[in-house]
Amino acid sequence: MSDLDTYRALYVAESRENHETIVKNFLILERGLDKAAIDEIFRSAHSLKGMSASMGFSMMERVCHAMEDVFQQIRNGTLKITQALVDHLLVASDDIEQMLDDIEGGGEGTIEGVIEHVATLKGHVGGTPPDGLNEPRAEVTLSTPPREESTSNLALAGEMSGPVYTVKVRLSAACDNKNIRGMIVLQNIEEIGRIIRVIPSRETVEDDNGFEGTFEVTLASDAGEEAISGAASGTDVEEAAVSSCTVYPGAPSVQAEAAHEGRAAPDTRKERTEKTEKGREVKNIRVDITRLDQMMNLIEDLVINRGRITQIAKKYQIKELDETLSMVGRSVSDLQNLMMNIRMIPLSVIFNRFPRTVRDIALREGKEVEFNIVGGDTELDRSVMDGLNDPLLHLIRNAIDHGIERADDRERAGKPRCGNLCLSARRDRDNVIIEIADDGGGIRADRVIAKAIERGLVTPEAAASMEKEAVYDFLFQAGFSTADTITDLSGRGVGLDVVRTALQSLKGTIHVESTLGEGTRFELILPPTMAIVDVMMVRINSRRCAIPVANIVEVASLSDDRIHSVGSRETILMRDEVLLLDRLEDMFGSSVLSEILVVLQHQERKRSIAVDVIEGQQEVVIKPLGQIVGICRGISGVTIPGDGEVVPVLDVKSIVREN
Amino acid sequence: MGRILIVDDTLFMRTLLKNILFAGGHDIVGEAGDGDEAIAKYQELKPDLVTMDIVMPKMNGIEALKGIRAHDPNAKVIMCTAVGQEQMVKLAIKTGAKGYIVKPFQAPKVLEEIKNVIGT
Repeated sequence: MSDLDTYRALYVAESRENHETIVKNFLILERGLDKAAIDEIFRSAHSLKGMSASMGFSMMERVCHAMEDVFQQIRNGTLKITQALVDHLLVASDDIEQMLDDIEGGGEGTIEGVIEHVATLKGHVGGTPPDGLNEPRAEVTLSTPPREESTSNLALAGEMSGPVYTVKVRLSAACDNKNIRGMIVLQNIEEIGRIIRVIPSRETVEDDNGFEGTFEVTLASDAGEEAISGAASGTDVEEAAVSSCTVYPGAPSVQAEAAHEGRAAPDTRKERTEKTEKGREVKNIRVDITRLDQMMNLIEDLVINRGRITQIAKKYQIKELDETLSMVGRSVSDLQNLMMNIRMIPLSVIFNRFPRTVRDIALREGKEVEFNIVGGDTELDRSVMDGLNDPLLHLIRNAIDHGIERADDRERAGKPRCGNLCLSARRDRDNVIIEIADDGGGIRADRVIAKAIERGLVTPEAAASMEKEAVYDFLFQAGFSTADTITDLSGRGVGLDVVRTALQSLKGTIHVESTLGEGTRFELILPPTMAIVDVMMVRINSRRCAIPVANIVEVASLSDDRIHSVGSRETILMRDEVLLLDRLEDMFGSSVLSEILVVLQHQERKRSIAVDVIEGQQEVVIKPLGQIVGICRGISGVTIPGDGEVVPVLDVKSIVREN
Repeated sequence: MGRILIVDDTLFMRTLLKNILFAGGHDIVGEAGDGDEAIAKYQELKPDLVTMDIVMPKMNGIEALKGIRAHDPNAKVIMCTAVGQEQMVKLAIKTGAKGYIVKPFQAPKVLEEIKNVIGT
């Protein structure tokens, strides 16, 4: 095994692709017979089996073999696809996924229950044809050579004459398949002479399972003893003894042999010339994701140190150094952009997992759901992608559990029985937008309000004048659920708040729109990448801090006469807008020098903060706070600018939302 | 030693085979992932020998074998086979394949077969 360990990563990566293909096509099959899907599953199971056997993962091999057998029979038309069969196949495919996880972790792919599942699958196959006979019948028929070809072949053989020899061939006991090997030897002999007789018969040598590996060929050839011996020798041939034959076998034998000749003369076959694509080279390579992460870290360090050198250069004012630095700066920027692009992966990587999920949930809930995916090729940074699976899963579950109605209810409401769920993604300027839309019953705003009043989140009076969006906002509160019963999937009140928190950690936002009776649409807005951000460096109470430029609306001077007191709070009147002024004293201590006002915005909300001085704008790498520090209110991470100081980055979202 | 074209739809199998052949002193002149590509690469590279997988997308190994032999009747192609594919291999041999190797590959057997086929 240790030799093969080097192949493990490649094995896992490629096996996962095959597994995904299998699952995708299972779901297509469930909707109806599809020859292309059957072929694809067969091929993928076959590839997986072969790879697993090569790696010595016998359990995986067995599952794939069973799956391959099932699809062999489906291809042949001897097995019908039933719901039970699809269910069992999906169980097997789950096994494959688990085994791959185990193998990826260094295991051998041994998990519980596989043997039973294989047995269940084999139960469907029932009367499996004997080994070797279960190849696609259609293809065999297709390739059987036409009659006249064998005649021309015979005619060709007839032209060869000369002395007659007998060759005694003995195949080794270790030969994998004596029939095939015998066939190859006969074919090689035939290339240099005319076969007059084979003992036992050619059928026995080539097709009889009981063939023991010894046979005698009589042939006429001009090639000479040595050449004949060479032709008859080869892999698995233990003995090939050539001797001259004085007794010429009679014509009837030739006839018998001719009658048996059902072979094609490959040389004379003129196949259609396929359209060929020249110069199609391998343009893609696989790289372990941890290596990309390492590279990204190195580039981040490079960006930090470039900042540092720039600062040093400023101090010494050397022309050559400045010029070189500007060149280095350009290369680093290019490298950074390139790296960003490399890290982008298509959303289909996670989208493709969902058809299966939708199927399972819909089945359990007894609902009919048509699931569509649009824009799976939209790309996102891998770090963003990692955190997206769970929020999307929550939203999809919600849509099926709470959104889409049962078929009968839908029919009564004049809708098609089958509900529609659409997961789509698109790029919008600097953001990636993901939508999950259903055509279900929509969110009952009245029930949300009732629940909010019941829980004391809002007074009945205030609720009466609330905007729809503010009402939906309650749904994102922890523990909020309007579902009357708790199901296996949702209704426990965990869900939307988890979704929002997860998205916030990805620097994303979520909106919901809903029309009663028509459906609900969740919109997730995500930054395509989150590692490198443009920030403004400021000092508050002479301590440095960075503010993402994207969140800054404007900067103004702060004079005392602009500050108004509203209750106990300081406010600023800016362009007819009253903004709360936050001096962030709890974070930075109180400052007497605050002369500059920075207006921050997140979504629709604004707030102003007071700062001492603005030092400039620069691109920085935001590093998350480590586990030791944990979550720190008001701070989204830290950055290390040129001088090596560790600078906190303001979490504008949380500051703006604070009351 | 020979110049070899490896045809298999999985990168894994190609890599495994490539390493075996390389260690055996052969040159791997090209790789192809399906039958179409195999025919194109054969014409372009004119290898001494082709290792051909049977089950592949788009065009299977038997069809690719026919395509290659249509261009070069002397092409030396050996089939890569797994348990249960005996009928297909026989079909391939009748179509002009010169030998076969069995998955999971055993380096000595693979190299012996290739040596024998290239030597003929």
